[in-house]
Amino acid sequence: MIDFTRTCLDNGLKVLLHRDTSTPLVAINLLYNIGSRDENPELTGFAHLFEHLMFGGTPEVPDYDTPLMLAGGDNNAFTSNDITNYFITLPADNIETGLWLESNRMQGLDFSQKSLDNQKNVVIEEFKQRYLNQPYGDSLLKLKPLAYKVHPYRWSTIGMSINHIEKATLDQVKDFYYSHYAPNNAILSITGNIDPQKVLLLVKKWFDPIEPRKIAIRSLTEEPVQKQARQLTIENSVPADALYKAWHVGPRKSNDFYSLDMLTDILAGGESGRLYNSLVREKKQFTEINAYVTGDIDPGLLIINGKLMKGIDFKSAEASLNEEIEKLKTHLIPPDELDKVKNKFESSHVFSNTNILNKAMNLSFFELLGNASTINDEVTNFFNVTSEAEMEISRRILIPDNCSTLYYKSGKPDNR
Amino acid sequence: MKNTHKIVQPTVSSFSFGRIPEAKKFNLDNKVCAYLIEAGTEDIVRIEFDFLAGQIMEDIPLVASTTNAMLLEGSVNYNAESINRTIDKYGAFPNLSFDKDSAGFIIFTLNKHIEKILELCREILFRPIFPEDELNTLMKNRLQRYQVNRQKVNILSSDHFFQSVFGNEHPYGKYIVPDHFTNVTRSMLREFHSRHYNTSSMNIIVSGKLPSGIETLLNRFFGDIAKEIKKNPLSGIKIKGDIEKKVFIEKSDAVQSAIKIGSLTINKQDPDYPGLKVVDTILGGYFGSRLMKNIREDKGYTYGINSSVNSLLQSGYKTITTEVGAGFAEKTKNEIYNEIRLLQTQPVTKEDLEVAKCFMSGEMIRMFDGPFALAESFKSVLDFGLDNNYYYRLAEKIKTIEPDEIMQLALTYYNIEDLYEVEVGPK
Repeated sequence: MIDFTRTCLDNGLKVLLHRDTSTPLVAINLLYNIGSRDENPELTGFAHLFEHLMFGGTPEVPDYDTPLMLAGGDNNAFTSNDITNYFITLPADNIETGLWLESNRMQGLDFSQKSLDNQKNVVIEEFKQRYLNQPYGDSLLKLKPLAYKVHPYRWSTIGMSINHIEKATLDQVKDFYYSHYAPNNAILSITGNIDPQKVLLLVKKWFDPIEPRKIAIRSLTEEPVQKQARQLTIENSVPADALYKAWHVGPRKSNDFYSLDMLTDILAGGESGRLYNSLVREKKQFTEINAYVTGDIDPGLLIINGKLMKGIDFKSAEASLNEEIEKLKTHLIPPDELDKVKNKFESSHVFSNTNILNKAMNLSFFELLGNASTINDEVTNFFNVTSEAEMEISRRILIPDNCSTLYYKSGKPDNR
Repeated sequence: MKNTHKIVQPTVSSFSFGRIPEAKKFNLDNKVCAYLIEAGTEDIVRIEFDFLAGQIMEDIPLVASTTNAMLLEGSVNYNAESINRTIDKYGAFPNLSFDKDSAGFIIFTLNKHIEKILELCREILFRPIFPEDELNTLMKNRLQRYQVNRQKVNILSSDHFFQSVFGNEHPYGKYIVPDHFTNVTRSMLREFHSRHYNTSSMNIIVSGKLPSGIETLLNRFFGDIAKEIKKNPLSGIKIKGDIEKKVFIEKSDAVQSAIKIGSLTINKQDPDYPGLKVVDTILGGYFGSRLMKNIREDKGYTYGINSSVNSLLQSGYKTITTEVGAGFAEKTKNEIYNEIRLLQTQPVTKEDLEVAKCFMSGEMIRMFDGPFALAESFKSVLDFGLDNNYYYRLAEKIKTIEPDEIMQLALTYYNIEDLYEVEVGPK
């Protein structure tokens, strides 16, 4: 159970505070309601590039990192399809340094061409390091546009191509900042060794003066229902064939999420998962296999991917995988197998709550979903899933017409 | 317009990790050492079983790591599937741990299931049967992962780096080839297991909100494991680095080059080690480091560059690691050497030093924050026969080190002629 207080400042900033005295540290998490789904299709990767620029300094504080380190702090950030999330941990006594830095860069940025040019290079190298120079590193860059035809989830947060990053201009950067970065588009969570009343006063001291801004209106095109199976084969210089399958699922907030998340655990949650036992251990057709739900705010995907054992062809590997999927539709999951997965959820919930940064991130994200207090219903939501519900959802979601399949073949690289 | 943002920057209070909660040591009936660290507020514990059974102890490549990996593949009373099912059933999180010196098993569990979990740990650690079929599957899967890793420039550079620095004869430096995966047999694993997974080097570290009677429980499950007094000696093979200091491996289709520069150095038993840690932090040990500022934030050649100093039982080593755009490899290497020379010839400014010191002091708080971090920090001194005094010495060095000493340490430990340089990428 995470106890917290919620306050909304006059400028629209939502503030969530949670006390945990088991640590000398505090975590400050600032979520901006802006992700790669908000990007212009001609300028993808921009939200993430912008995240880098948030560390480029402001007129008053030219260097973000140094004052934070002098206060014993550590920080980082990430961008996803849906959000851009900045976080700090630092000694509790120095919490104000964190609030000062975050409020300062919410107020204004030092937009410089040099910083932009440099961070473009850094992000291009990141693109290469994480997506192009890794075996299978581009698999999601290929799978997502197969599954999504119109919704912005068809591109990844790093962007569709290096070319999009190269052409970003300083004017676009400024425009992006003023239309997305503002107190009324952000959620601030602070957890750790704090006195919530005192901290709220400090938050007000630093954030109250920031005026709200006019936030760009989000109008995303809904992905039409997929009516036919899709398939793509690509070839690349990788040592083994790999199979990727993606089915459309509902949004994170729908009740389906819990059934589906549990279903992927039944299939591939650790080495006692069905797919590992049957396809890796017994049939030896795969060397590894995974399943997960993307958990996006808009309707997401359930993805299963695996690497094939040498000498096994796609058709027979896929047939065995389909057999396991069919079993979900025809046989109820035995209660003890379902309980096993539920116990794992309960326990990972306990473990994740020992970490103040996890708690701060989760509070912000659940508040964005609608209400931070629903974080305390998560375990119950998982426990309420029944074998019947799992069968129903398998029959409804895991059907060929709803599926996109990527064969990632070992061979010569495609012309890219 | 209201604008209080002009008001002054908040003052910073000094901070330190204070006193480290000491581990309580007690001996099981068979003299195995168990260390108990009380911390945290949730009813959970982390249990680590640590053996001197890493790479250093193997005569045949992959035998040590395979023995470790096979622990979860079947025991006298459980097959692989039931081991994993039992772990999941109790909501525990297992981690096989394996590195150059030590190996073992770590498990995170809710206190209410600790008895079942300890019983399972006993099976996993002391009654494995290394079934043939599971071994074959494991080796095929590992070989395939190895082949995937051959495509990664950073992994290739790291393998070649260890081979160059420690020599191909020494277990730390042995270069793995595909044949090694087919050479490992059950009897090798059985023999390695009985020699190294026994009480002679075993430590147990339990941290968390300790359940009452934890001593009795540990004794019940591990106190009667046959006592093995004879300690196994470390590898008698001498560390002998390559004569050739520069290695270039061509990977023509790569869009980035991986660079690894470094050499042997002292380990944490040496009194200079804490000072060397400070030098390394300034050079490439954090986001504000010289290398990060130069190669990433100023030049934009890379997504990241970092350096580290690492302790091993038979040596230590330091490395600088990065992946840079294909055209930037030469320039990057030159800049790396420039930064080292700068550290050797010009005193670091007071301001620069202060930032690095504060960063390190902040990190030290994180190293002792909560039961899991405490256990990791404790293990990393225990393995070297040290105790928490090492951390107090490190903290003191961070506080008191002066620019002159940093220059001196950089001269002593960063002799450019001694450095190995490995590059993997397009020509």
